[in-house]
Amino acid sequence: MMKHHIAKDEPLWWALFSAGGICFAMLVPAAILVFGLLMPMGIIPASAFDYESLRGLGLGWPGLIFAGGVIALPAFHALHRIRHSCADLMLGKESVNKVWAYGLASLMSLMAVGVVLVNLF
Amino acid sequence: MSQTKSIRVQRYLPEQEPEPFWQNYEVPFDESTSILDALNYIKDELDNTLSYRWSCRMAICGSCGVMVNGIPKLGCKTFLREYGTRVDISALAHFPVERDLVVDMDIFMEHLEAVKPYIIDKSKGRPTGESDTYRQTPAQMARYHQFSNCINCGLCYAACPQFGLNNQFLGPAAITLAQRYNLDNRDKGKRERMAALSEHDGVWSCTFVGFCSTVCPKHVDPAAAVNQGKIEAAKYTLINLLNG
Repeated sequence: MMKHHIAKDEPLWWALFSAGGICFAMLVPAAILVFGLLMPMGIIPASAFDYESLRGLGLGWPGLIFAGGVIALPAFHALHRIRHSCADLMLGKESVNKVWAYGLASLMSLMAVGVVLVNLF
Repeated sequence: MSQTKSIRVQRYLPEQEPEPFWQNYEVPFDESTSILDALNYIKDELDNTLSYRWSCRMAICGSCGVMVNGIPKLGCKTFLREYGTRVDISALAHFPVERDLVVDMDIFMEHLEAVKPYIIDKSKGRPTGESDTYRQTPAQMARYHQFSNCINCGLCYAACPQFGLNNQFLGPAAITLAQRYNLDNRDKGKRERMAALSEHDGVWSCTFVGFCSTVCPKHVDPAAAVNQGKIEAAKYTLINLLNG
């Protein structure tokens, strides 16, 4: 019988990619709407975005959800796609591409989530 | 049939020329002339040395797959009227060419075999004898029916850039057929298929380009099957890890 070498790491990258895809579709457009359109157009009053109230939100539980859903998971999603595009275009080696792609996504996630966590606890 | 069209066919005659070359043919056509009709006209009237595969003429045998202007097409389901002045016909991409438009499909057959595309049921309750049959509701059939329309024509392999780079990749049709049987309530062989699907050259080599679903002449949507296969492979791998 043929011996099969199961790819043990791929489900993890794919799960992060999938979760990131949902966040990209649901949360990122909402963030763009609020911070990119409603705020600059003055539809949401500027006072709602003063430093103190945003700091309170950003460094609390809502901030943790924001860091995870708008930065960390979308970062894994985007870098998974970039890694696969590199495979399509025959750029670099798969084993090396995995390291920088998921390494960069992990670093971005750690920085985003870490800042909130440090202030939470 | 007063109109004619100039068709360029990529020839490969290894005993005469080491390299493939293009040959022009002037073919009469009307609204109903398919690419396969044009090839048959060339073979019968212009050049009987041309080699190509065909059988049913009605998009069910899956043997007349060729590249038309670089896009994988079934010759019988593609019509000359759809094209302007340029009609270039060549052998299906990503497969070794044996002669003219005839490709070697062995690697595709190997990948099909690897996923055991047939009902596996070793349970005690399986039907035995002529009068005993499986029961399947329309809802149970609907789960896999779309994927069972595959005719093994290989167009999705000619469309898949990952198969082009690495022919060890199981590829769209094999993964689709694995999923077709995994979703069939009569089948108990999912575990036997999942090891092959869960390898790097199984579902994970797919980079979701999606061209397989675009070119499929039977609207099977292999890309959807591959994505469903990724969920199954992730579950299989996790269970395997937990079981040690």
